[in-house]
Amino acid sequence: MLQRIYATPHVRPRPGVLPTPRAGWYVLVALGLGALALGLWAYTIQLDRGDIVTGMRDPGRGGAAWGLYISLYVYLVGISFAGITVASIARLLKLHVLEPVARIAELLTIASLVAGATAVLADLGRSDRGLASLPALARPSSPFYGTFTLVVAGYLFSSVVAFFVTGRRDAARMVRDGPRALRWFYRLWASGYRFTPEEHARHGRTTFWLAITILPLLVTAHSTLGFIFGIQAGRPGWYSALMAPSFIVLAGASGIGMLILTVVILRRMLGLRIPDASIHWLGSFLWVLCLVYLYFTVVEELTATYAGPALDRHVAHTIVAGPFSRSFAVAIGCLFLGFAIPFVQYLRAKPSVAGLAIAAGLVNIGALVKRLLIVVPSQTHGSYLALEDGRYAPSWIEWAVLAGTIGLVLLIVLVFARIFPLVHGEEPALERDAPLPRDPVRKLVCLGWAATAIALIAVGLTDSFRLWSGTELDPRLPMAPVIFASGVMMLFATAIVYEVLPARRRRPRSPRIVDRARTHAAPRTVLAAALRATERRPIPPPPPPSSPRSQP
Amino acid sequence: MGADRRAFLRGTLALPVLAALPRGAEAAAAPHRRRRWGMAIDLDRCAACNACSVACRQENNIPSYGADPEFHGARPEWMSMLWQEPERPDGLPELLPLPCMHCADPPCVKVCPVGATYKDPDGITMQVWDRCIGCRYCMVACPYSRRSFNWSEPAWTASEQQMLNPDVATRPHGVVEKCTFCHHRVRALSERARLEGREPGDDELQRLPACAAACPAGAITFGDLDDAASKVSAQAASPRAFRLLEHLGTEPSVYYLKKERG
Ligand code: SF4
Ligand code: SF4
Repeated sequence: MLQRIYATPHVRPRPGVLPTPRAGWYVLVALGLGALALGLWAYTIQLDRGDIVTGMRDPGRGGAAWGLYISLYVYLVGISFAGITVASIARLLKLHVLEPVARIAELLTIASLVAGATAVLADLGRSDRGLASLPALARPSSPFYGTFTLVVAGYLFSSVVAFFVTGRRDAARMVRDGPRALRWFYRLWASGYRFTPEEHARHGRTTFWLAITILPLLVTAHSTLGFIFGIQAGRPGWYSALMAPSFIVLAGASGIGMLILTVVILRRMLGLRIPDASIHWLGSFLWVLCLVYLYFTVVEELTATYAGPALDRHVAHTIVAGPFSRSFAVAIGCLFLGFAIPFVQYLRAKPSVAGLAIAAGLVNIGALVKRLLIVVPSQTHGSYLALEDGRYAPSWIEWAVLAGTIGLVLLIVLVFARIFPLVHGEEPALERDAPLPRDPVRKLVCLGWAATAIALIAVGLTDSFRLWSGTELDPRLPMAPVIFASGVMMLFATAIVYEVLPARRRRPRSPRIVDRARTHAAPRTVLAAALRATERRPIPPPPPPSSPRSQP
Repeated sequence: MGADRRAFLRGTLALPVLAALPRGAEAAAAPHRRRRWGMAIDLDRCAACNACSVACRQENNIPSYGADPEFHGARPEWMSMLWQEPERPDGLPELLPLPCMHCADPPCVKVCPVGATYKDPDGITMQVWDRCIGCRYCMVACPYSRRSFNWSEPAWTASEQQMLNPDVATRPHGVVEKCTFCHHRVRALSERARLEGREPGDDELQRLPACAAACPAGAITFGDLDDAASKVSAQAASPRAFRLLEHLGTEPSVYYLKKERG
């Protein structure tokens, strides 16, 4: 049945045509701009007057040193996690029903990671110094190392690579059909994509391998987030092996929720052709993940309140029945509704998009509050010494910065939706082992590239650990963390190298290869060649808009 | 052990290029006797007069921000009095002067992403204000809450400005600061002793930090825990001695002395 929905003509967009926005789009853009301006203004106040304008204070002296900013960061990275996972799973398992939302999911990943990085910057007392010294001095023994290098370098970059690679085909179409002013952009993105079976087969391989390498990276990167809290023995309430896994599950729930919201909003604002079935699928993901998370919460609270050490019990008590109980009720209530609404719809086999959107919004509120409840109470009430219990309520500055970051996500998504098709165009199914002609040069270049990347990772990581530094504080190589991060990035860029490297064979073996004209022109640079190729190659007419099978 | 492992790793793993890089001046520096600085605080002597924390504030240029309620929880404290409620189940004494514990295995150092806080070879947990990026991870990780963030740019009145100690740098907004065991005094004494061709004696060290010097009851003793003849190591070995939160495995270098606990 899903197959049929997916194959009906209104589902697939006409290739290369950008949607015309409705009034709501302009309203949302204005909102996003307003929120961004508000956030920036608030941040300048914070820079000017100091962090005293936030609600945070020293832990043990009446406050919490981390508050909304760190919670927001964790929450945003969580959202990005779900986006890229949905896209990867759709590709790996060939879940065609999720394909129409795959690009939106990837876009959401990139936007929320960018916003997450701004949230961290807002949190740092010396953000300028952070930008300058983290690349040079970051230490892997701090869980922040994973956060800064793996999440930003590996995770953000690999999402960008996946986004780029999967978008090339549509970009090539947009070179012909898109707005004239942006042709350069599409041409750059298409980077020489030709509609040949060979290119297509290569494309199938890269997307498969990218999807499969991104998944473990995701789990690692996201677990380091959980470790930020989970490995602090001195904070009752945090020190827990369940921290990392439950971080991942809550990330999944909030991210799927945000994806549902984004898809529903974009579909309305821009009239995108996304079938209800895709959203219903996401809805099923949503209730399963919420259920698992609620289960984790019950186990956690039960362990802490039943026989936990006195202080874990104390912290759990402040959350469930103490000063944080109202926030706790909000968080659990939202997450419960996020489970119950889609679940009831599922049971009655009557899913409604509006209901799912409401549930998705609730889950996101619940997740943000729950993140705060993870971050704050262990600081205000979790001390082994009888220090002053703390209080924390975000100040308006922090709320404004939160609004600014959300505005940033909104703007990135909305603007991008205007310049690039958000739903994949018509394409033949990707196969990961479609026959390819032998191409030893390409293989060799890619292997060499990947080997260099791995060497950089090894050198950068060991030097970041100061293994060669003797008694010195700093790594021996300048910018050791950057060396590590660029290794990670290069490794993922292998996919780009594999795809974009122009074919240079003299004698094509397969009769299907049409690109004979370019075999003699040795390109000077990869990019220039790619650009020229896109310019000169005539693009074959688009395939008929729908397959005969789907015609009524 | 740590050095052996490092040597092994360097031998086996290091790229030849790296091994060939010049190692800087560090190798040429004259070896000096390694210390393990520590402190003993005799609670049976402590009169809770707060002289130590006042002296610390004065010595280390710690801003106090007046009585502004906005600064509740935002006033840096290096040495402060901790009053425990007597009904606490963990049997700690009611009153503790609380400096940084200079843990031998400090959680704050492990988590610092840039190495702004580090273990000095003589056992002091140091803080480089200039390197700190203000992420506050160390504050969250320190089980004793012995770290303070500069929530705003410190403002000094004209008279306060004249009383600033030129030996200690003031810290700007956005960095974390903490007790250094009066590292500048330790350094100055060591330098002086070196010029005179000797090692600093235990009698000079015992009341070296500002808090120890200010204590009217002589309750605070500073010194080398590895020096079997020092007063501090004798006190650390006393049956009255205990350390805070031993179960966390942080190995504090500050010992408390109390006859009957609880
Ligand atoms: S007491 Fe806190 S600040 Fe001092 S060394 Fe230990 S963990 Fe670090
Ligand atoms: S606040 Fe400063 S000293 Fe503390 S962990 Fe961050 S960078 Fe290191």
